[in-house]
Amino acid sequence: MNLSTKLTIAALLMSGVSTQVLAQQQTVTVMAYAGLFQERYTKAVVEPFMKANPGIKVEYFPMPNSAQMLGTLRAQKAAPQADVVIMDVSVSKAATDEKLFNKIDEKVSKNVADLYPNARIPDVDGVAVTFDNLVMLYNGDTVKDAPKSWMDLAKPEYKGKVAIPGMPDIQGLSLVLIMDKARGGTDYLQNVDKGITALGEIAPNVQTWEPKPEVYPVIISGQAVIGAGWNARAQVNADTSGGKLKTVLPQEGSVFQINTINYVANGPGKDAGAKFIDYALSPEAQKAFTESMFYAPTNAKAQISEAAIARTAVKSMDKVIPVDWIALAKVRDPIMEQWRRKVIPLSR
Amino acid sequence: MSAATALAPALPPRRSRLGLIVALLAPIALINAIGFLAPVLNLARMSFYEVEPTGAMREVYTLATWAKMVTDSFYAELIVNSVSVSLGITLLTLVCSYPIALYLHRSTGTWKTILLVLVISPLLTSAVVRTYGWIAILSDSGLVNNSLGALGLPPQRMMFNLTGVTIGLTEILMPYMILALLAGFGRLDPRIEEAASTLGAPPFTIFRRIILPLTLPGIALGCLLCFVLAVSSFITPKLLGGGRVFLLATEIYDQAIVTLNWPLAATLSILVLVIFGGALVLYTRALRAIL
Amino acid sequence: MTDQSTAPDQGTNGTAGEGFLSIRGLTKRYAGFTAVDNFDLEVPKGELVAFLGPSGCGKTTSLRMIAGLVPATAGRIVVGGQDLTTVETHRRDMGLVFQSYALFPHMSIARNVAFGLEMRKVPKDEIARRVREAIALVHLTGKEEHKPAQLSGGQQQRVALARALVIRPSILLLDEPLSNLDAKLRDEMRNEIRDIQKSLGITAIFVTHDQGEALTMCDKVVVMNEGRLEQVGTPVDLYERPKTAFVASFVGRTNRLKAVAKDGAAEFAGQRVPAPAGLSGPVQVMIRPHRIALSPSTGSEGVTGTIARAIFSGDILQYDVDVGGQIVSVELATRGGETVLAPGTQVSLSWRPQDIFVYGAAA
Repeated sequence: MNLSTKLTIAALLMSGVSTQVLAQQQTVTVMAYAGLFQERYTKAVVEPFMKANPGIKVEYFPMPNSAQMLGTLRAQKAAPQADVVIMDVSVSKAATDEKLFNKIDEKVSKNVADLYPNARIPDVDGVAVTFDNLVMLYNGDTVKDAPKSWMDLAKPEYKGKVAIPGMPDIQGLSLVLIMDKARGGTDYLQNVDKGITALGEIAPNVQTWEPKPEVYPVIISGQAVIGAGWNARAQVNADTSGGKLKTVLPQEGSVFQINTINYVANGPGKDAGAKFIDYALSPEAQKAFTESMFYAPTNAKAQISEAAIARTAVKSMDKVIPVDWIALAKVRDPIMEQWRRKVIPLSR
Repeated sequence: MSAATALAPALPPRRSRLGLIVALLAPIALINAIGFLAPVLNLARMSFYEVEPTGAMREVYTLATWAKMVTDSFYAELIVNSVSVSLGITLLTLVCSYPIALYLHRSTGTWKTILLVLVISPLLTSAVVRTYGWIAILSDSGLVNNSLGALGLPPQRMMFNLTGVTIGLTEILMPYMILALLAGFGRLDPRIEEAASTLGAPPFTIFRRIILPLTLPGIALGCLLCFVLAVSSFITPKLLGGGRVFLLATEIYDQAIVTLNWPLAATLSILVLVIFGGALVLYTRALRAIL
Repeated sequence: MTDQSTAPDQGTNGTAGEGFLSIRGLTKRYAGFTAVDNFDLEVPKGELVAFLGPSGCGKTTSLRMIAGLVPATAGRIVVGGQDLTTVETHRRDMGLVFQSYALFPHMSIARNVAFGLEMRKVPKDEIARRVREAIALVHLTGKEEHKPAQLSGGQQQRVALARALVIRPSILLLDEPLSNLDAKLRDEMRNEIRDIQKSLGITAIFVTHDQGEALTMCDKVVVMNEGRLEQVGTPVDLYERPKTAFVASFVGRTNRLKAVAKDGAAEFAGQRVPAPAGLSGPVQVMIRPHRIALSPSTGSEGVTGTIARAIFSGDILQYDVDVGGQIVSVELATRGGETVLAPGTQVSLSWRPQDIFVYGAAA
């Protein structure tokens, strides 16, 4: 056999193979958070999904935050490039109102029936895929006695050593809600005066309301020693920092942050998107991701290891204050106004 | 001579020369239209869109955002604060840059080249990296506070406040200011300074009566440039402001990225453009008065 | 300023003695070269002195040292008995006019002229009067509110002159003030500067590379070359009695011929001319073209040569004559009716002994 014959056969084979693959291959584009989330989610969910569905290829399209995901969705409204989006619930509500999504219900995924009740949010097309909660962070090298209360942030020894992602970030808003409840506030939709007062007491201690690039490295490095952050990232950072970063769920409690998974209307991947969503909500995917990054699962049937579940808020649900983020959005501006007038000036 | 005769027949008649001008201007006009004009018009339109508390935007026109801008005193404060902080930073940048620019203007040869490269080199590093550099210097356990501590002096809070933003932005803007000043120093002439000296002017008087007036075009240009850059910068205020410094640019960022109020972000952006327009008018007026 | 009419001090016109401006041993050395070397000069009050020389001869550096713009490496500068060597420029009280005018571009003509008076804290009304007079002196009345850029080069230089004069400086320094002007303006300004300097009786130094300017305008000319002072003298001195070959060739036009000296005489083309004692070997013989007489007859006294070229330029008929392989230029004033000799014609050249200068060949 001479060379040209070999090449011809090879070419024929390759073209035959590739057209075969192309015929079967579908692509799902998943738009979600960049960085740590992308790294862990790819390993725990995306790769196993592709293994189970060899005909479907998943493209992970990373974005720094939910707002930019919404921006991309808006820009691509005429011809969407994404099929599935994982984003914060309040942004998901905005996208729902702009009719960018398909409704996810039992027809899209039978797993929806197994979700916790609070994972199905009224008037939002997506459903919760992860729960996270606010925790107190501290540097274990500097802070010897584990803090117990959010108000420990106001202790004199932490003067100039507190890092809190302040409003408009929802971590600052969450803290206002938690303290409002702790001080006897009854309806955060009416007023959060008590919460604002509490934050005003913490404010003089605050070094920065805008820890950059994130609050976790700021506390690990010792630039600040105590603060507030999200549990899932804190758990991972605690591990990677060799235990320097410690977390505690204070006695006043916490609130959930909800990431929803959403099904983009008219996405290029068609049904493959629904397949991916079905898998993402399945007990096995929920288990894998919780054990990888310590987001609490949204599927009640997920069998999570004891070690992992202990590092989520699942065992302390009594401490989690229910928040209706959608309703809260309506009063966010006045709370922001109070934050600017009554909290920030006290921290100068 | 031969070049001239070679060129002469190549010059096209008047009408096709007009065509040439249009053809040469077309690419930049097109790029400007696509890259600047269209987005600005889009922003202007978006500022009239209706927005829901959740951030959902409806393509329904309303004056609500503009009304909020006028009625909520926070935005007036924001504008005043932004403009005054930017002016202060511009002034500080000018004071720090002027002697350097003057020295650079007067140096010659290789030394001048070396100095010029040193002045420009910070521009090769991103503002983010330079700002983190300032964090290392200004933080509570940073270079300055460690030095103060070694001298037995109390530590100073130098960042996560206006001081930090001012220091950081001043340093970041200095290369632009120095280059603008140098560009505007064309009228300086050592002979003119010598003439003033022989007429009995002591050094400071020469500076005040001769050098300063002759460098006013450069000062105006540098101040315009730095003011515009200061008003529109948000990375440094975000990193060094600690959430305490409220400026137009950081507010636009927050409204667009965090609060998802795009119409409000658009309105504020248009406002920034108006401020830039005002600065440009002032600059043109100043230039006409100087020259 | 017109009321300043100190008569020029004619007493010590010329050589040694105490001048109004007294420069002794003035030296400027830069790394690796000496710009001005041991410069001595006495300038009597009211004189206009030219510093003449080719570019790089040190004339401008000397002027700048007098103004205090360049510090002297060694030597003293004394004006009216006051040692100014280390005094700062702005306390020296000298008016300097630059080649590039160096007017303040952002000020009106009146403000330019007033500047020096403001520095001296002269009362406002007096400033107004003196500025008016100074502007009138340079014929620029009516241009007071113009900016320098609105004036022509000649007008700008007049403003510079008025600005320097209005402060009644002890010495007026002019650094190539005419070089940037075109030929016609240059002649006009030359006379104007001379007239104003004379009428004010002001002591002035005029730096130029143009021997015509130096000879026609100045009381005394200082010829400089390579940082050294070659000769100081009146224009007539320099022209008629040049001390060095450099002066002879730089001031006026001259033939520069090679010859050999022996026993106090130089032999050139078979003719012996007296040479300064001590010279021997190769020398330069110099003679000005118009001091040579030319006759077509051969064999008479003088040297014989062949006409190589004849150039008729109206006023002057110039012959380039080949004498023993060297070209001697001869200039004859035309009177009308002369026949132009054709190249190849044999001629004989003659001159008066006092018109010939002999210098060592090294010079």
